[in-house]
Amino acid sequence: MATLQSTTTVTTRARPRAAISRDALLKWAPLLVLLVLCAIFTLMEPRFLSIRNFARILIAASPALMVAVGVTFIIIMGSIDLSMEGTVSVCAVAFAFCFLWLGGTLASWAWLAIPFAMLVGGLLGFVNGLIHVRLKIPSFMASLAMGFVGTGLAMVMTGGDRIRIEDELFRSLLTERILGFPLMVYVAGLFLLLGWFIQTRTTLGRNFYAVGGGEDLAVASGLNVARVRVLGYTLAGVFFAVGALLAVGRIGIAETATGNNFMFISITAVVVGGTALWGGIGGVWNTLVGVLIVFVIDNGMVVIGLPGYVQDGVLGILVILAVILSTDRKSISFVK
Amino acid sequence: MSTFIRDFIEKEKINRRNFLFASAYGLGGVAALGALGPGMARAALTDPTIAWSYRNRTNPYWNEIVSGGEAFVQSLGMSKDALTHLINEGSSEKSLADVKAILAKTGGNLALAIDTNDAPNARPVVEAVVAANAYVSTLWNKTDDLHPWDFGDNYVSHMSWSDEGPAEETARILLEAMGGKGGVVHLGGIASNNPAIERLQGLKNALKDYPDVELLAAEPADWDTQKANQVMSAFLTRYGEEITGVHCANDTIAYGVLEALRAEGIEDMPIVSYDGNPQAVQLVADRKILATVFTNPHWGGGITASLAYHAAVGTFKPSEEPNEHREFYGPTIMVRPEDALEFKANYLDSVPTYDWTDFWGPSNGPIVYK
Repeated sequence: MATLQSTTTVTTRARPRAAISRDALLKWAPLLVLLVLCAIFTLMEPRFLSIRNFARILIAASPALMVAVGVTFIIIMGSIDLSMEGTVSVCAVAFAFCFLWLGGTLASWAWLAIPFAMLVGGLLGFVNGLIHVRLKIPSFMASLAMGFVGTGLAMVMTGGDRIRIEDELFRSLLTERILGFPLMVYVAGLFLLLGWFIQTRTTLGRNFYAVGGGEDLAVASGLNVARVRVLGYTLAGVFFAVGALLAVGRIGIAETATGNNFMFISITAVVVGGTALWGGIGGVWNTLVGVLIVFVIDNGMVVIGLPGYVQDGVLGILVILAVILSTDRKSISFVK
Repeated sequence: MSTFIRDFIEKEKINRRNFLFASAYGLGGVAALGALGPGMARAALTDPTIAWSYRNRTNPYWNEIVSGGEAFVQSLGMSKDALTHLINEGSSEKSLADVKAILAKTGGNLALAIDTNDAPNARPVVEAVVAANAYVSTLWNKTDDLHPWDFGDNYVSHMSWSDEGPAEETARILLEAMGGKGGVVHLGGIASNNPAIERLQGLKNALKDYPDVELLAAEPADWDTQKANQVMSAFLTRYGEEITGVHCANDTIAYGVLEALRAEGIEDMPIVSYDGNPQAVQLVADRKILATVFTNPHWGGGITASLAYHAAVGTFKPSEEPNEHREFYGPTIMVRPEDALEFKANYLDSVPTYDWTDFWGPSNGPIVYK
């Protein structure tokens, strides 16, 4: 109770002094960070600011955006999902096998491989949620373990081989462009809108915030929190599967390594975008901005010609800076 | 409940006692061998245990190495399960502990093939094997001051690969295809990895003879397809049409580069790569990649076990062999579009049956220290 009171005083004291309201500033801070980054990179290398380069950034960002949107729902609930690397690998490999088995081109029944992969993703997420809720294992541990199971499963399925998807129609995700941007960018955009719809227009979406904002309260008001959690993980699994499909569309290869690096990128993106790890705050638009920040940094560092050995260090520092600037740390009294 | 706990503690005590007995027995065995001393007459072994000590099997490269070891064991008329696997999971400490354990278990009746995980670990491993009068052949890792000929017959051989020469050769193929002018970018492995350093150096060596080609940039892509894809995209933003050739540190990087180019509608960029993975060989046959280098890990894994075994049973006497038969480079095969399909049929679609007593035929000359 004491904590609650002290936070209220801090916020009320801070408000009148700021020229622009603090809330508004915090809301737009991640976007400002993104714009400032773009401005800096453009000043250092004017070629950064071109449609073709933005298309390149968006191609790289699309699969990660889907994964990050999935995990956003979980983080809003105040939990975490670290199973994405395994789930993405399994979905990619399952898609590839099913796609080739059914004919190997989108023009045949092989298109069924797309919903199949999403089903696999949802199923993995469902199991993940059940393990977390039913066995009362912290989401951190349950999902991390499920991730390893997924990676192992993908390894067993492929025997360490790569599966190539050569179908021109499926690869048009990358090769066909509308207004300078490949189709996969628009697909990612559509699923982002779907995520936004779920977040704002459905009971489930609002329940995520209820659980994250105060689980005790949510339980006391009669919400079946266990159900919300399992559904959340299932939904996240489906978005991971979409990320896997776009990743395969981008490289044309499904393998155990398809899921590599998604954990760091997506969690970083969500946090940098201003969604708080303690739950209840943020949403899919924050995640979009967060993903763009991470990939603009990634791309920009190579474009301005920063030497490889300093890039990782700079990325780490920029991420910390972005979190400092874009999250409301005054309203919390402790960090775990 | 309390009886359960008591039972459990009791069991643990017994287990520990058994363990101590076993350890004492093992140490005793080693000590007894030591007492006989290195001066004793060394008879060749009969029917030694054959073991391969390596990182793990989930890595495709090590899987190939060990499958070669199994093929060798099968060539002796045994089942492939007769090969003992010592898996270190990337730990030098475990690698050494495994070797000591199996020496104690077999009483030194052992032919060991090993990658000691890192160079400093090679010396204690070799010394333990020599002290037990067993036989060892090493692959990849050893320090420059450790030589098989300093240990009589028991340290049979060491094989490694130098990537600098072959990477220079692929670079020359690339630079020729670029017409000897323009700009080249290099996408490398994890910056601190030795092969990554050597492969970049190979490119730099070749560039000395092509003054009109500029090395625009060299960035690590961490042996990763997706990272390579992103780095190549960013290179295209920075250098655009200045890039007229791409030098990749390995095949997985080349796949990412090819897709980044495809996204931009660029189909005819000269690219060279390394490792000779089946998919890359196919891409060479399709002329999407100009060259890749195959290092034949299957043969490397088999011949390392074979050398240790045949020295152990007395087929040949290592100390009577010249130094270039004790320390040598492994084979490298350049795969070009002209011969890619033939190479694929001979080496990848079906694994050739090797003569495992042709110890040095495919090898690549003595190891040179800088």
